[in-house]
Amino acid sequence: MIAVIGAGPAGLAAARVIALSGVAVTVIDAASKPGGQYWRHRDSVTGYKAGRARKYFDSIQNHPLITYINGAQIWSAIRKDNSLHLNYIQDGVERTLHCSQLIIATGAYDRALPFPGWDTPGSMTPGAAQALLKGHGVVAGTRIVISGTGPFLLPVAVGLAESGAEIAGVYEAQSPLRWLRSPLALLLNPEKFFELVYYAKKIKKYGIAIHFGGAITQFAAGTAQVSKIRSDLTMKNLGTREINCDVVASGWGFVPDLSLGGILGCSQAVDGDGTVVFHVNRNQKSSIENIWVAGEATGIGGSDLALVEGEIAGLSAISRRIPLALRLNKMRKQLFARALQRSYPVGNGWQDWLEDETLICRCEEVSCSHILDSVNELKAEDSRTSKLFTRAGMGLCQGRVCSRNVCELISQAKQVPVVDSERIAYSNRPIAAPISLGSLADGIAEQ
Amino acid sequence: MRKNVSFSFNGSEYIGEEGQSVAAALLASGVTQLRSTRFNEKPRTIFCGIGICFDCVVAINGVANQRACIVTISEGAQIVSSQ
Repeated sequence: MIAVIGAGPAGLAAARVIALSGVAVTVIDAASKPGGQYWRHRDSVTGYKAGRARKYFDSIQNHPLITYINGAQIWSAIRKDNSLHLNYIQDGVERTLHCSQLIIATGAYDRALPFPGWDTPGSMTPGAAQALLKGHGVVAGTRIVISGTGPFLLPVAVGLAESGAEIAGVYEAQSPLRWLRSPLALLLNPEKFFELVYYAKKIKKYGIAIHFGGAITQFAAGTAQVSKIRSDLTMKNLGTREINCDVVASGWGFVPDLSLGGILGCSQAVDGDGTVVFHVNRNQKSSIENIWVAGEATGIGGSDLALVEGEIAGLSAISRRIPLALRLNKMRKQLFARALQRSYPVGNGWQDWLEDETLICRCEEVSCSHILDSVNELKAEDSRTSKLFTRAGMGLCQGRVCSRNVCELISQAKQVPVVDSERIAYSNRPIAAPISLGSLADGIAEQ
Repeated sequence: MRKNVSFSFNGSEYIGEEGQSVAAALLASGVTQLRSTRFNEKPRTIFCGIGICFDCVVAINGVANQRACIVTISEGAQIVSSQ
């Protein structure tokens, strides 16, 4: 039996092509509805080319060869001979799904950078504002400042404005001129131009002001402070601007969730932008014989690339031929993904914004000075040692939010680059989701 | 028209829409703090919104450390701030 983890664009595309080829497949997803983050919805998907989602939703909900397990949080996975066991919790009960082949399409989440006040209510990721709006019909605030880097900031701003929020400015850290470095990617992906026009029209309609070369560098009770920054994110010391707002949404690219593939032993590599991703071959096959990975977990590339990768993974998992057109499409979209990395880099200069007491680890309330003390006074050599001294990354989120930042803060303080093995180490965790000992014991008792 | 769902948070009654998460329903009702932190007693609420960061954890019907951003409100649910 084939299983797909994740019902976002990559997982849906994989499941659909498998079912259309006449093979049974099970999709297991944490959310109650299909779509992942990109096609998150209440009644129907909205936004650019929303109609694309329909055929995938129709397949997962109605195709007789697709079994859809929703609301299931997988907390661990085991490889036994050629069989894979996925342990999950659904409605408070621990269960296991067995499969012979697995496609991992677990997506990504926003990367957050710390700044003074990022831990106060009202500060959130753009993904949170988007999820509140698209998934729950709740507008995050009345007057919102958006900051960070990447094209994702635009749909977030437009969605909030359409729903009645006042956008008090979008601060994109990088200059749009960086796109000139990627002429081939632009030329080969002309449809991206139409997407840009779609958003440009809405940005004009709602009078949203986009400022380049700036970022929110502080937030406190109703006021965001915006600073001019260089492309490496260091501050220009040209003074700051204060903006009244009740919400700041700040996001710096995405972090793929590698937990499950990591537990199963799929080998990983560090992408050009420092993101840790799974190493896959041209058929999306991982280093493990019966596991494929598709979508953001193989490199941040957006939904278009995820759909293509999902389809390739699905076809490969059932040993079908991969059409040349599909391969060419993937190459074209990968070129665009690399252009995105070049155009929206997250440099190692954000440490400039920190104050001594700025929290780096939100869960365990570990501040910048705690971490720097562990390096300077206690002689921690790397983030792992610092973690043992400070508990940074040892809280409930298991370092999902802070581990990369802790590592890069230490690297900057010690003036040494982060080695790949350290990046891979902080991207993995032995348990994919917290589970109570009670439900663990109940599950064992059942077996 | 969506069905209303009533639930309580720290002893006060709230009404949300069917299908909304605990965090979304409370934010829509003007609640801007879901818990206080362990050491510094600082207010926290929704941050990542998709179940990654655990900033919004609350106890729901006696079960601790539930992520308010991904648990859907249910009729009569008793929700209290995590300590």
